[in-house]
Amino acid sequence: MFANYLKTALRSLMRQKNYALINLAGLSFGIAAFILIMLYVQHELKFDHHLSKRDRIFRVVEIQNEPGVGEQHVAITMGPLAKAMLSDFPQVKNAVRLMSAFNVTAVSRGEKSFREDNLYYADPSVIDMFDISFIYGDPAKAMQEPRSVVLSRKVAEKYFGDAAKAMGNTLLFDKTSFTITGVMDDQPETTHFFFDMLVPIATAEALPAFEWMKGWNSNSLVTYVELDRPSSAAEINMGFDDFLKRYAFSKDDGWQYLEMYLQPLSEVYLKSGHIKFQNVTAMGDASMVNVFIVISILILLIACVNFINISIARSVKRSREVGMRKVLGADRGSLIIQFISESAIITLTSVVLALGIVELVLPELNKLLGTVFTIDFISNPMFNAGLLLLFIVISLVSGSYPAFYLSRLHPIAVLRGISGRSGPRSGLLSKVLVVFQFIISVGLLLAVFVIRDQVNFIRNKDLGIQYTNRIFVGFGESGFEKIGVIKQELMQHPAIQSVSGCSYVNGVAGSQGPVFVDDSANTKLFVRYGFVDEDFFRSMDVEFADGRDFNGLQSGDINRAVIVNQATVSALGWDNALGRKFVFPQSADSSGKAEIIGVVKDYHYYSLRSPIEPAVWIWSPERFRGVVVKYANSGNRDEIRSFIESKWTSVFPGLPVQMTDATNYLTQNYKGDQTTFTLFIYFTMVSLLLSCLGLFGLTSLLIEQRTRVIGIRKVMGGTVSQIAIHLVKDYLLLVFTAGIIALPAGYFLLQKQLDEFAYHISINVIHLIVPVLLALLIAFLTIVFKAYRAANANPVVALKYE
Amino acid sequence: MLKTVNLSKIFRTDEVETTALNKVSFEIKKGEFVAIMGPSGCGKSTLLNILGLLDNPTEGEYYFLGREVSGFTEKQRANTRKQNIGFVFQNFNLIDELNVYENVELPLIYLGLSSSERKRRVESALEQMQIMHRRKHFPLQLSGGQQQRVAVARAVVANPHLILADEPTGNLDSAHGEEVMNLLASLNQNGTTIIMVTHSQRDAEYAQRIIRLFDGQVINENIKAGKLEANTL
Repeated sequence: MFANYLKTALRSLMRQKNYALINLAGLSFGIAAFILIMLYVQHELKFDHHLSKRDRIFRVVEIQNEPGVGEQHVAITMGPLAKAMLSDFPQVKNAVRLMSAFNVTAVSRGEKSFREDNLYYADPSVIDMFDISFIYGDPAKAMQEPRSVVLSRKVAEKYFGDAAKAMGNTLLFDKTSFTITGVMDDQPETTHFFFDMLVPIATAEALPAFEWMKGWNSNSLVTYVELDRPSSAAEINMGFDDFLKRYAFSKDDGWQYLEMYLQPLSEVYLKSGHIKFQNVTAMGDASMVNVFIVISILILLIACVNFINISIARSVKRSREVGMRKVLGADRGSLIIQFISESAIITLTSVVLALGIVELVLPELNKLLGTVFTIDFISNPMFNAGLLLLFIVISLVSGSYPAFYLSRLHPIAVLRGISGRSGPRSGLLSKVLVVFQFIISVGLLLAVFVIRDQVNFIRNKDLGIQYTNRIFVGFGESGFEKIGVIKQELMQHPAIQSVSGCSYVNGVAGSQGPVFVDDSANTKLFVRYGFVDEDFFRSMDVEFADGRDFNGLQSGDINRAVIVNQATVSALGWDNALGRKFVFPQSADSSGKAEIIGVVKDYHYYSLRSPIEPAVWIWSPERFRGVVVKYANSGNRDEIRSFIESKWTSVFPGLPVQMTDATNYLTQNYKGDQTTFTLFIYFTMVSLLLSCLGLFGLTSLLIEQRTRVIGIRKVMGGTVSQIAIHLVKDYLLLVFTAGIIALPAGYFLLQKQLDEFAYHISINVIHLIVPVLLALLIAFLTIVFKAYRAANANPVVALKYE
Repeated sequence: MLKTVNLSKIFRTDEVETTALNKVSFEIKKGEFVAIMGPSGCGKSTLLNILGLLDNPTEGEYYFLGREVSGFTEKQRANTRKQNIGFVFQNFNLIDELNVYENVELPLIYLGLSSSERKRRVESALEQMQIMHRRKHFPLQLSGGQQQRVAVARAVVANPHLILADEPTGNLDSAHGEEVMNLLASLNQNGTTIIMVTHSQRDAEYAQRIIRLFDGQVINENIKAGKLEANTL
């Protein structure tokens, strides 16, 4: 019996090739889009899944609520925290501290010298907690000795060619020699914390420069704890209050405004958007994953709706067959199976085509997302299962209408041609479905226009600081000693206008801390610190609101004078900041005080997502980590870069040159938004295309079936354009209805999304009108040709039809 | 074979109530060839649909092979139908996507016969209707007469007790029409009961009895004894 269904299905498809093609194309593209999005989603959900204890591992997060800053979540914690938790909470079985070895500027072996970004200080317990497997070396001993290091296989091969040769050998960390005590497997890409060199944290603790690590008043590292069971987290969260009172609050300059909680490891990658400061190498966004899941399902639905609509339109023809089968003894069940099998055949073909499309598109998508997605049937069982599920669901959804509607038809009515004509009910269903498709399309179009404007707004907003034609060259911890020399050398180039030392290209360092106002109340404010020299603000076109810049001629400014931003002034409620003093233990002034000499206008040192917070700048050369080179518009960027490189190697021999265009800092801040937006455009196009394809198929079929009516109208004197308008207007009305429904919903959702940005556009009338007009135009173009041709046909031919 | 007692069918819409059949009573014996005649709209096709178990009457009784079937469910009707009744329609109602062989095979598939048994029966029916050479063709590649012969083959392939023909020659020219009528007559001679709705007096001549309907009522049951004798010879 199945062979018979198959035959009928295939022949019925072949007979109406155009519609079969529309169905196939629609479903294939729909499924392809779905698969692509699901690959992305699967990738996002896979993070940290390689860790066997993942449901018991938690990251410690602080909630700081310091005056001047407001509440902020910070996943960087204190040095003694891990040990204190191990001793105070019996539920904590293991604790690991990980801290970036930011003090190591270059790692070298002979001629080979690199800056290593994934070099961390860690407790030896990291091996057990993070399931590190050793290729060479003994896990129990590898991280016990100071100045030992465990390398990933990749890094070992980078320095030694062969991982086996690395064991027992040494590497130079700046000027100190470290012994390789182990080679571990490379970490997977899907980890939120990627490391490929681990040094025992005791090595750092022993250094005088890391004395502060022993105290509770500085946040510098990440603390992970492994609990006896997942539910213990709640008990520990309850216990944090007392715990903090015992330790962190004990000092005067401590953290009175502090709370702590445990964040499950499974949430670190996708659900850390609320955390302002953290040390991660990859960060995802759960809400983005959800948005894309919804989009992918909507696209699939659009494709299924096409299938259903074309089925409804074709039911006129199919109903006669159904009637006859019923007369000959078919019951409903067998007819339902028949139609579901037909849709299964089309779906299966579409799935195969979709896989082909995915293969073609994947390289582009990988480039866009920086991923390495592949179609992998063997090692990705989820993919196969998903594909099978997709096949079954689409077959059922798409086949359901013909299966259940047609099989219900009464054979007499059908055979005598009374029913089976798309009656008012099926006509209504078609219309509802078309409206549904265009609601999605108009909604997505609205999103595209709003997001585009927001992206442009951010790109063009005056940040108060200029990054174009500036290059940041980092020199690490010790480069500041030669800052005078490198400035002098670089200034020799005619196109280079200024060179200034700074903690980072945006003028601020990662650190945040309290300042105490020199007044009777000893007012405290939490500020972001920045360390820059006398050329920085001028180089970056940051304007002054009041007072003056640091001045090189008055050497008294170094470590003695302070510049603040307007946010600081208003947070302290001052009318005039100039001449006021902060109490600064590290001040060069013998009184331990530093005077405010200038106020810069607020500029965005971080992304536009967050508002500008109080910041304080000090001219403190030993805190500089690089220089910003500003060059003239006329300068040749590549030539300047190679000039910098040559000067650099002569001033800092053995120090790798780390040069980045300052604009990269900007784009990297908004890269996520940009990628999301690009993906959004692609998928909106797919959805619009599919909706139009469906509309085209549907109207073509209905117009074909109305040939006789068109003929009669013509005989009665209707003109071509009158008839064409008559045919087109109903459908445009549907699209318009869809627009009216889509706009309020889209407006609401987008407004919510925009509120995430501290600075955003507002949705205006143009945003609302254009998507509807565009959808109307596209729908019009889709059907007008067919309608015009039908209206233009010879009425005699038309009347012979049926 | 079958018997109706006060059979009525009333179609209702929101505004109109139409009595298509009004207390129709008659009996048809096994082996009969009966023609139902009457003007358009007199209820011929409605009657045929009820006799063919495609539809239920509103009132009255209908005995088919000794069983009262007027209250049958759709499923029961479908079952009784596929084992006992063959249909021939004015517009052939062949399935365009299936070829001649497959069209004829269809009732046997729904009866659940084995593929070898189906092959034997389909080929025999096609031979009988002299359309075997066209078995690979699709309906649209055949003439009207050929299509109707396929339809007749399909109606007889399951060896039904009863064949219902609704204007079987209505879409055919006279030569092809005669061909089809001769086929039906010879089936009847082999023992199949045939009930045929027709407008054509000439076609009605093939029947042994004519039931005339007017406004949903039987106005005349005319037994043509001579013809019956001729046929039984």
